[in-house]
Amino acid sequence: MEELLQELRTRIIETLDLVDVTESDIDPDHHLVGGDLGIDSIDVLELVVMIEKEYGVHIESREIGEKVFASLRALASYILENSPRLKK
Amino acid sequence: MKGVRVFITGMGMVSPLGNGVSETMKSLVSRKKGIRPLSLFPVLHGAPLPVGEVPDRTGGDVAASEESGIILPRSHRLALAAANEALEGSPSPPDAIIIGSTTGGMLRTEELLKEKNSDPRSYSYHATGSIGEYLAQKTGCSGPVITVSTACSSGTAVLKLALDLIRSGRARSVLAGGVDSLCKLTYHGFNSLQLIDPEGARPFDKDRRGMSVAEAAGMLLLQGGETVPVSAVAELLGAGLSCDAHHPAAPHPEGDGAFRAMMAALNDAGLSAQDIDYISLHGTGTRENDSSEAKAVACLYLDGPPLLSSIKGATGHSLAAAGAIEAIVSCLCIRDGFVPGNIGFANHDPELSLVPTVQSRNTTVKSVLSNSFGFGGNNAVAVLSSASGEGNPSRSDVAPVFSVKGLSCFTGAGGIEKTLSALASGASVAGILPLDEISEKLPQRSVRRLKRLPRLALSLAVAARESAACETGPDCISFGTAWGALSETYDFLMKLYETDEEFTSPTDFVGSVHNAPAGQVAIWFKSTGPNMTVTGGDYSFEQALVTAGMTCRDNESLLAIGADEYHQALSGLFDRSVCMTGVMSDGGGALFLQRDNAGSGLRLRVPFYSGGTEENMERMVSALGGSGRINSDFALVFAGMPAACGRRAKEQLENFISASGFTGPVLDYRSFLGEYATVSASATVLACNFVKTGTVPGIKGGPEHDLRGKGILLLSLGKFISAVEILG
Repeated sequence: MEELLQELRTRIIETLDLVDVTESDIDPDHHLVGGDLGIDSIDVLELVVMIEKEYGVHIESREIGEKVFASLRALASYILENSPRLKK
Repeated sequence: MKGVRVFITGMGMVSPLGNGVSETMKSLVSRKKGIRPLSLFPVLHGAPLPVGEVPDRTGGDVAASEESGIILPRSHRLALAAANEALEGSPSPPDAIIIGSTTGGMLRTEELLKEKNSDPRSYSYHATGSIGEYLAQKTGCSGPVITVSTACSSGTAVLKLALDLIRSGRARSVLAGGVDSLCKLTYHGFNSLQLIDPEGARPFDKDRRGMSVAEAAGMLLLQGGETVPVSAVAELLGAGLSCDAHHPAAPHPEGDGAFRAMMAALNDAGLSAQDIDYISLHGTGTRENDSSEAKAVACLYLDGPPLLSSIKGATGHSLAAAGAIEAIVSCLCIRDGFVPGNIGFANHDPELSLVPTVQSRNTTVKSVLSNSFGFGGNNAVAVLSSASGEGNPSRSDVAPVFSVKGLSCFTGAGGIEKTLSALASGASVAGILPLDEISEKLPQRSVRRLKRLPRLALSLAVAARESAACETGPDCISFGTAWGALSETYDFLMKLYETDEEFTSPTDFVGSVHNAPAGQVAIWFKSTGPNMTVTGGDYSFEQALVTAGMTCRDNESLLAIGADEYHQALSGLFDRSVCMTGVMSDGGGALFLQRDNAGSGLRLRVPFYSGGTEENMERMVSALGGSGRINSDFALVFAGMPAACGRRAKEQLENFISASGFTGPVLDYRSFLGEYATVSASATVLACNFVKTGTVPGIKGGPEHDLRGKGILLLSLGKFISAVEILG
């Protein structure tokens, strides 16, 4: 889990070009969207693409998306549960 | 002075419901759905999504090539089919053409880029603006052509401009409409935004999950007159525009902009909400649009709305064509006494205050409100009415005067100060400014998702308002760009191709629409007035200035922006002048203006814009007040002569000089600003600055010019001609 959290931090910053955010700014239990990080609904869709590409996890409807993107930890758990590429 | 009324006297359309107006209406009356799985191009992953495709035979022969041997994109063929139907029986070509399109020849360009075709000729019909130009050539129209690219509101926004052209007397007849063909950009783009309903669009239904992307073309022939022509189907009473200034892709959650556009349209039409018998809703089927539109309608009708429905459950959402085909359907509702049922609606959504008219019905319809909303928060609404009423005779100004309050430009040398000092030292300023330098004054976080064109536009806008030293405004925005956001478009397609069409970037899709930069500017300044993006090749900025006079009211402030980006892979393929000269340059200019007919001080006016014929050159000289006035008011001409129009532009300049007897110096500004489509925006900004200071420095070793208190006349030459007056 910790390893995935760290990997996701790097990938999120890189994917969204979060120029003024460092990895330590992303608290695994804080709101990922709509908070201080400046991540909005368009960014979430960009992350959906990244997660499908990197982890083979498809996040389809926006209702599921809201829960999955509630926090970094929620996102990591969802990936761990659903990724064919990662051991559970 | 007596006003004119504007009548719809011809209509043409091709849509997923059929070939031609009557076939489409027959399908609509019999509740046929035109939405089925995509077959126009193969989908490499998953099942094809439901879309609205025009039946194959309507587009004409796919392999048919022009006299030039260049394959014509599907959108051009759809547009011509609709235009021919609209103009059937019309004794003469329209005086002007105004076309809405979001993707132009993109479907063909996608194929060409995929096969790595490097012949610029093959891309001749890529530009959104090329559709209107093609129709002008086919119909014999030698007047002005304007191309609106305000995403999904384009097909209704064109009606606002057409009204003004006729009300001001600049045209008696206008062919106005919208077109978009399906293409990979929009198919995969809307899918990446998770805005596609896998079961097909179900507008306003409780379980709706999105839209169905579609294609269509709709064309209306509008004619001005004081009496009702025999061929009148309906009257265009008025139209209104607004901007949400809220989000690049999502509508305002309370429907604020939609409400204001409906109010503006009713005011323009001289009607109240209670005079409306039917609302043709935008109703795309996305959760956000339908909720926002329902709230806007509820605000307008506190005691409940009239009959209302969206036809997009049957046609899908044909983007820039949607407003035009819905305006035509509205005209037919008035003519035939019919209201179409909202196809796809089964269950009432308790979260919506709106229940659409489900079953089609026959009833008298006198007046219709037709809604279109789009990305960038762009809203456009038209009011159509029975031609047998008293009508709404109106007049508008031919060429309103704008006071110039603020200026900014970007050239290869930098912003306006650096540009002026480079020019004063005799250097050329053509070139490409590094990306960081363009947006150095904008917070990094605000521009992290913006690539080159939106950064250019936003930085220009911020600098122009700063130089105007205004605390508020602009009320309105008018943006001209020939090619739109090339970086976003290219990156979107390349990511799609590199992943075998499995993945792409939703951010790039949102940024790829031509009106995205103007949407960013609106959000930045909270500019909720009309927000226009026009895309007419080398005349895009000129069109932005012309439309500024049509959308901005007395005393309102307006930002007129022109910008284009140089793109390593695309500029040389798309822009013939870049291809011919190899000059790499980009940039643009912005003017913070105030409409003020009694204006004093630095002021700007566009008395003429039309096709580049000899007769039009004579008309232009007379619109400028003839030889005497030209020589007494202007000390110098700035000429815009695109390399691709070299010989023609030179001849036109000679004709101008011989017709006007102009004796002052003429400067070809592309020789020192570079070859890109909206270079005239930088030139206009510099001309304003020179008129203010009274001198033009010695450019590239030439002599300095004392303007002796006179103004500068900017002439754009080539395919189209225009005159922009700058007076001190």
